[in-house]
Amino acid sequence: MSGGSKIDILTRVEGHGSVELIREGNRIVDARLQLHESPRLFEALLIGRRFDELAEIACRICSICSTVHKVVALQAVEQVLGVLVSRQTGLLRELAVQGGQIESHALHIFCLALPDYLGVGGFPGLAAVAPRELQRGLRIKSLGNLIQETIGGRAIHPFNLLIGGVGTAPTADQLQRLADELAAARADTAATIALVAGQQESLLPLPALPACAVAGGPPLFGDHLETATATVISAAAAIEWLNEQIEAHTHAKVSRFDGSSTFMVGPLARLTLNMPPDYADHVRNAPLSSSLLARAIELQQAVTRAALLVEQLMQDGLRPEQRELIAPRAGTGTALIEAPRGTLLHRYTLDQRGICTAANIITPTAINQAAMEQSLKALVAIMDGADYDQVKNTAERLIRCFDPCISCAVH
Amino acid sequence: MTRLRIAIAGLTACSGCQLSLLNCEAELPALLEQVDFHFFPLACSPALLVGEYQAALVEGCLTMPHEQELLLALRQQSRYLIALGTCAAWGGVAALKNDEHREGLRQQVYGENQTAAVTFPPRPLHLLVPVDATVCGCPPEKEELLRLLGSLLRGALPSPIDYPVCSECRMRENLCLLTERNQLCLGPLTAGGCSARCPSQGVYCEGCRGPTAEPNLPEALEIYQQKGFDQATVLGRLRRFYPGWQP
Repeated sequence: MSGGSKIDILTRVEGHGSVELIREGNRIVDARLQLHESPRLFEALLIGRRFDELAEIACRICSICSTVHKVVALQAVEQVLGVLVSRQTGLLRELAVQGGQIESHALHIFCLALPDYLGVGGFPGLAAVAPRELQRGLRIKSLGNLIQETIGGRAIHPFNLLIGGVGTAPTADQLQRLADELAAARADTAATIALVAGQQESLLPLPALPACAVAGGPPLFGDHLETATATVISAAAAIEWLNEQIEAHTHAKVSRFDGSSTFMVGPLARLTLNMPPDYADHVRNAPLSSSLLARAIELQQAVTRAALLVEQLMQDGLRPEQRELIAPRAGTGTALIEAPRGTLLHRYTLDQRGICTAANIITPTAINQAAMEQSLKALVAIMDGADYDQVKNTAERLIRCFDPCISCAVH
Repeated sequence: MTRLRIAIAGLTACSGCQLSLLNCEAELPALLEQVDFHFFPLACSPALLVGEYQAALVEGCLTMPHEQELLLALRQQSRYLIALGTCAAWGGVAALKNDEHREGLRQQVYGENQTAAVTFPPRPLHLLVPVDATVCGCPPEKEELLRLLGSLLRGALPSPIDYPVCSECRMRENLCLLTERNQLCLGPLTAGGCSARCPSQGVYCEGCRGPTAEPNLPEALEIYQQKGFDQATVLGRLRRFYPGWQP
């Protein structure tokens, strides 16, 4: 039997990071989030690649968010090339993105977050103490994957989403199956909201931060950013506004906003900006810890929206579409979309041959770093006097409220 | 039957191979009766690497010293070490510019005057430790992961796949995208096991599973040439998932 060790990394989050507590004597005086995930240098890898390769490579940034990376990359490239997609393609993409939203939120709620509330280590523990809840979560998660696979050809790294259209459109039978399963999922998502709303929240009531989200299109889509401080930022101006900086303790660039505000992105931010009347009481002036409830509410919204999209596609009647031959052209395109964890931006510059000469990708977890950092500091101040393990555990739960995706953040 | 005690770890990657396992939603509850996911930081707390494992399933490539340390520990504590996915097996997407200077790439992202994020060129696992079996794919098929766990439960390893995507595509009687549609389909050179997932939906194989056993590159390059794809274009595509392709 060889020796073993506890590895100081954040668990039940995607990617590699840790919370470092800084001590002075016996007191914990500060905390730092370190995203030490290794950079794959995607923005450099994409340079020199042809326009039709960019989305195929860029979606590999992250598995959980691969569908949304693919769609936003396609949109940015299509902007440069002047490609307009059909209504059918638009609806299919939107549906695929909602599928990703369902899968990601179900994964977070049932596999990554719920163990904190039920005092177990992970999904194996849930299977023992809450088997019906785990089964329900896996059912919803599986539906999110079925949608992504039906449209994208594969739940992870969808290959069927292409510039100007899709490889093969789904059949009417496949859409009918989605319609049936989405109808059946409503009971599961309602039960999920009740389950999450009924959990005792032991995390200290830290305030949420000012919200920022994409607006101007169907749910999750749009062409500009809006904030709780009533600022409107166009896609083209977003990179400058998000102001990414390189800092020593993290491999992910950090958004340092101008002025005094630090913005957060993600489910709670989206609901704060665009409150569904049915749930207004749940999330108005909500503390940060209600982000799990926000995810549960969004899960239901995603199922509702996906059902509507399927209905529209069925009403229209699916038809095979010939994708146009694409002529390369030079220019820059910037696209925005709401990924499960918040605002995602891709910008590409192509030369006249359609070869990528510059790429910039800004992800929700990178944007949220300043918010996480500020919340950690507030937590340390409130917990002054608590012992190391207590602060460490609470800090890790706090970070989980943001559902960080560290592969995305560092890419 | 005693439960299979395993460790699942991710190095430099997208977590897609690990997520593929978590995507086996229908099978997970039953798997829990036979598999002890003892070390699985993505989904389970705490990250406690202790004792012996019947197998370690490792996703991703090596780019940092602490990943090497983790891999060495996993190797030491596990009977079998399995390379999970194309990054672990071949380097994968992260390695696609391994022919360029790493520092130059880093500076393109982080700027010239920064010292942040120094890493070494992505390398597959077998360059550091012996690997007992490989499951390819970006991502691997869920069925392959279930077969892997099934084999491990019997104390065995899955048999390697020695045929290309092209063979599976023909078995499915698909229209050939290369010869009949003039598309740059990499099926002839790419390891099978995916049931020709992409070409079956009319989308060219992008080679995400890495090279097939004994690929005939010269012959394939000739066919691609006849279809109007020059050597540089084909190699550029092939090296998206395995930087080692040489004419």
